Amino acid sequence: MNAIETTKLTKYYGKSRGIVDVDMTVMEGEIFGFIGPNGAGKSTTIRTLLGLIYPTSGSATIFGKDVIKRGPEIRQEVGYLPSEVFYYDDMRAIDLLRYSASFYNRSTKAIEKRIRYLADLLDLDLKKKIDDLSYGNKKKVGIIQGLAHEPKLIILDEPTGGLDPLIQQQFFNLLKEENDKGATILFSSHILGEVQKLCDRVAIIKEGTIIEVEQIKTLLENSTKRFKLETVSAPDAAAFDIGGVSDLAVAGHAVSFLYRGHINDVTQMLAKLDLADLLVEEPDLEEIFMHYYQKGDGR
Amino acid sequence: MNIFLRELKAHRTGTIWWSVGIVSLIAAGMAKYAAYQAAGQSVTDMLSSLPRTVQVVFGLTGFDLATASGFYGVLFLYIAVMAAVHASLLGANLISKEERDRTSEFLYAKPISRGRALTAKLLAGLTMIVILNLVTYVSSIYSVNYLGNGTGADSDILLLTVGLLFLQLMFFAIGALVAGLVRKPKAAPSLATSIMFVTFMVFYLVNLDASLDFLKYLTPFKYFDAAALMATGQFDPVFVVLAVAIIGLSIFGTYRFYSARDLTV
Amino acid sequence: MNVYLREMKAYRKSTIIWAASLSAMIVIFMSLYTAFSTDVAAVKSVLGQFPEILRTALNISLTSFFTLNGFYGYLLSFAILAAAIQAMNIGTGVISKEAAGKTADFLLSKPITRSRVVSAKLAAALSVVLITDVVFWVVAYISALSVAKEPFDAGTFFLMSFTLFLVQLIFMALGALFAVSLPKIKSVVSVSLPTVFTFYIIGMIGDVLANDQVRYISPFKFYDPAYIIAHGSLDGTYLAVEAVFVVAAIALSYVIYVKKDVRASA
Repeated sequence: MNAIETTKLTKYYGKSRGIVDVDMTVMEGEIFGFIGPNGAGKSTTIRTLLGLIYPTSGSATIFGKDVIKRGPEIRQEVGYLPSEVFYYDDMRAIDLLRYSASFYNRSTKAIEKRIRYLADLLDLDLKKKIDDLSYGNKKKVGIIQGLAHEPKLIILDEPTGGLDPLIQQQFFNLLKEENDKGATILFSSHILGEVQKLCDRVAIIKEGTIIEVEQIKTLLENSTKRFKLETVSAPDAAAFDIGGVSDLAVAGHAVSFLYRGHINDVTQMLAKLDLADLLVEEPDLEEIFMHYYQKGDGR
Repeated sequence: MNIFLRELKAHRTGTIWWSVGIVSLIAAGMAKYAAYQAAGQSVTDMLSSLPRTVQVVFGLTGFDLATASGFYGVLFLYIAVMAAVHASLLGANLISKEERDRTSEFLYAKPISRGRALTAKLLAGLTMIVILNLVTYVSSIYSVNYLGNGTGADSDILLLTVGLLFLQLMFFAIGALVAGLVRKPKAAPSLATSIMFVTFMVFYLVNLDASLDFLKYLTPFKYFDAAALMATGQFDPVFVVLAVAIIGLSIFGTYRFYSARDLTV
Repeated sequence: MNVYLREMKAYRKSTIIWAASLSAMIVIFMSLYTAFSTDVAAVKSVLGQFPEILRTALNISLTSFFTLNGFYGYLLSFAILAAAIQAMNIGTGVISKEAAGKTADFLLSKPITRSRVVSAKLAAALSVVLITDVVFWVVAYISALSVAKEPFDAGTFFLMSFTLFLVQLIFMALGALFAVSLPKIKSVVSVSLPTVFTFYIIGMIGDVLANDQVRYISPFKFYDPAYIIAHGSLDGTYLAVEAVFVVAAIALSYVIYVKKDVRASA
């Protein structure tokens, strides 16, 4: 069965559009990425799935159950980490986590054990008051409250903001662990690199509609990278004439171009050059979306 | 249940302070009553011959100030106002705080329906209101009997206290309704207390001008007016029914609107 | 200055509502003067027989109470109660909103000293209160003129009206002090209402019990209408008390706000 299925899900905030006719299917057991620029409608979609806001039209089901009609029942199996975490300032971390645990039909002992395990892994002092925690640490609390009850569906809304790289890695390992155990993950982000690392499939949303749903492999193959390099001696422009190179610019010893294709092909080409410096940049989101618009036009 | 207990804990200091406040009000009021008693006897005759407007201006309507219970009746209005402020704020804050503090994404993404959360919150509020009411009752009995040397006032005090409970519940329910309706969580407590304040003004107006008597249905303070209660010794059934209706409709409305609207982020 | 203008804009709607409400209130109450004044003669004779202690307790001043100014003085106490709530709301809110709304990081990292921030905000609060009061005074005066049966002393009238501002000033300063001292005020109304009502009730009880010490505690009792009517001026002692309190509270607010840590928002 599909973990999540939306049918023409639409939400207007008064006159301004949130999302329009979103059809999305997340299969059980996959890690599904949801990317788009700010304001595209990622959070709107997620919040509708959770019953925090109500759709203007259309519907959605989680594990086959309608999200509005059977919301509380569904959420027994869902773990949610919002993009901005706000908790009750008067509580300590452990208090908040126990309070969170009390909502689920699981053995409190099991959840408590899991809380401690996760806190240890993420390096979080459970005895500190929420008010005294830094933003990153509050996010850790968020991660734990989303995972402690071992949910079958984990929904993450831009989860890595505020986390240092080491903890981020821990977090991704955790997610992979859960996924190996069979959990489905919906991961929304505007950081392409993260999505590429974790997800099996990804949906791209822009201005309220889903533009594309791709396998990550395809995305990787199709993604453009910008190469900037400096050579020791003046380069021969013909050397860069391999498939996939575009927007080539040579100025003295500095060369810049866009490359789309297999990484190994371009690195073999670069290996033949006498390099002084090399910089490879991720495409920014605009470039990606430009690509997808072009692709749409080309059909 | 967890939400119920959490709300009680979160409001613990508040409930204590309000209780202390009300006890102080009652105790201070009755404690000095003795000094006033010296001028007691002749006052009643004179005051009753005063024109109505003057009586109202001094808040004396219908009380026998020579007795402790009469004096308590005057004091009662202030107790009622304090309790009304507490109840309005409590009702509004309990419901709106999740959106105000942005914790709604935590709480309402949990496997509970909004209705269940509301029930827990309303029950917690009810508990605190009853606590405040009991505190008022006990300190009133004590103050009137021992500090004020009054006797035979207990049945009056009981009547007034029950009336107070209705009053508290009405403002609590209205506060909750306002918070359930309104999208801006910060506006809820202001709006709820403004409503309370307006009804208080209307109460005063109705007392001042007999021709405005028809307005009495607009102000809960008139439903359980101390003077009327002590004079007749019982509740006016019309007012009681109205009170119950208002409480019931407000609570129903709270559930209806809060469950159906988007949560403010 | 920008902070001042921004606050003025933010409070525009609230100021209009308060000014309108207070004005409506005084108009309605003043209209009852007609009914009230017909009973004058009867009441005077009755009250003359009251024992002194009772008259003081009930705040009745035989000579002045039944004049327009006397009546107005009494009504003013309710307007002052409401206005005090406005003043404390804005005194507290204008400062606490930054911490509560997590915009403190934004504002205080701008090239502006903290004391200038406080000055701008308090100036805005003061302006709001003054504007509300001026509207109120004009409306009150017009209503008084229309219901008065005989000429009344305008000077006294305005002096009494001015006490509205004086009491508001105290609560505004108190509100500011609360705002810089309390960690995070999530609901300004939950702080201001109980505080104002407490002082008001203390004042009322003091009245009924003819207790003079209470007058120093409750701002509502600083300026007695009867005194103003009798002397044509404000009681200097209380003006001094107010001045000392307001200056101290505001100075302390500055000091605290300038020195305190700004907790990281998030």
